[in-house]
Amino acid sequence: MIKRLSLALMPLAAALAAPSSALAELNINEDFKPQNEFKLDPWINLPGPMDINKAVFYVIVATIITTMSMVYVARRMQERPNRIQTAVEAAYTLMRENIAGGNMDRKMAAKWFPFIATLFLFIWFSNMIGYLPLPTNTEHKVDIAGFEVPSLALYAATANLSVPLVLTLVVWIAYHVEGFRAKGVIGFYKGLVPAGVEGPAKGPIFVIELISDFVRLVSLSVRLFANILAGHLLILFMGGGLVVLLNLAVAGSVILGLVTGTMAVAFFLFEIGLVATLQAFIFSTLTAIYLGGAVSEEH
Amino acid sequence: MDLSLITTLAASEVTPEIAGEYGRKAGKAIALGIGAGLGTIGPGVGVGYIFGKVIESVTRQPEMRDEITSIQWLGFALTEAIVFYAFIFGLIAFFLG
Repeated sequence: MIKRLSLALMPLAAALAAPSSALAELNINEDFKPQNEFKLDPWINLPGPMDINKAVFYVIVATIITTMSMVYVARRMQERPNRIQTAVEAAYTLMRENIAGGNMDRKMAAKWFPFIATLFLFIWFSNMIGYLPLPTNTEHKVDIAGFEVPSLALYAATANLSVPLVLTLVVWIAYHVEGFRAKGVIGFYKGLVPAGVEGPAKGPIFVIELISDFVRLVSLSVRLFANILAGHLLILFMGGGLVVLLNLAVAGSVILGLVTGTMAVAFFLFEIGLVATLQAFIFSTLTAIYLGGAVSEEH
Repeated sequence: MDLSLITTLAASEVTPEIAGEYGRKAGKAIALGIGAGLGTIGPGVGVGYIFGKVIESVTRQPEMRDEITSIQWLGFALTEAIVFYAFIFGLIAFFLG
């Protein structure tokens, strides 16, 4: 066993023994700064922190598209639904029956369904717009017929921590207010301790549950933000970033580019097909679960 | 180990400041790599466990398939997100450390 392990570690030891020769060939491209892909340059200067930048643009676009598309579909309701109406009706059923109805009682579900549906649609649209290359990279401009056009870039409103954090704060405050209204402030905090915990165990359990109540602020926002950011980073690095950064010779770049480019397509499909919808679904489902848990008698 | 590296370093004009700067960069890169890398182990096991259990449940009770599928995606997303917690804290260490 030890002999086999030492055999397996031989290449590692050889690599460690010759660090200078192994690293001398690496020629990192210092001009390319991947973090600048997510840098927010102010486009329109406004007093204070109110500058209009890429993130604000994406939030506005997502809001407009969410509102316009839903109003458009709602205005053009037909007896025999076309494809878009069928899709929207399927999403409506999902939001109403599964997300809101499945996790709250009937009265709460009817009351909070619009909020949860708005959250779902807004997050879904901002995730999806995030995967369309839009001319938003003002750092690098391309000259097209005499016009300086910003180069295409991927960015999403939800790939910026502020947007998920604000959504999370709204949800957090909403379920606290609902809990306070249903059970009173003391009743709500008493309800944090799960039923069945008796005697002196109540104290430490209460502290843990109180901490986990605050940790929801972090987990809910960071889950959405980090999923989208990591997806964008993966697409950025696989779709050419790694090749530019490593700055290999031509043959090496071509081989590496073919491998990572294929992976970029796979990741892109994975992000569009699964992650974008799943994260919107998770965010709204957890909102419904938190709201339902805040008012339910047994926790 | 190739100990001649030490003599090469001693002979070169690397001041403690430069060495410290490189050491700081190296530490950040190691923090990101090891933090994010180790963080994928647990959720990797978790995601595999979830899908394994889903297959098991569906083969036992195929009529529950729809219900299980919706819970499966909830569990998958909750578990998968833990990778990104490690990744984000690695990025914080890398860019803000």
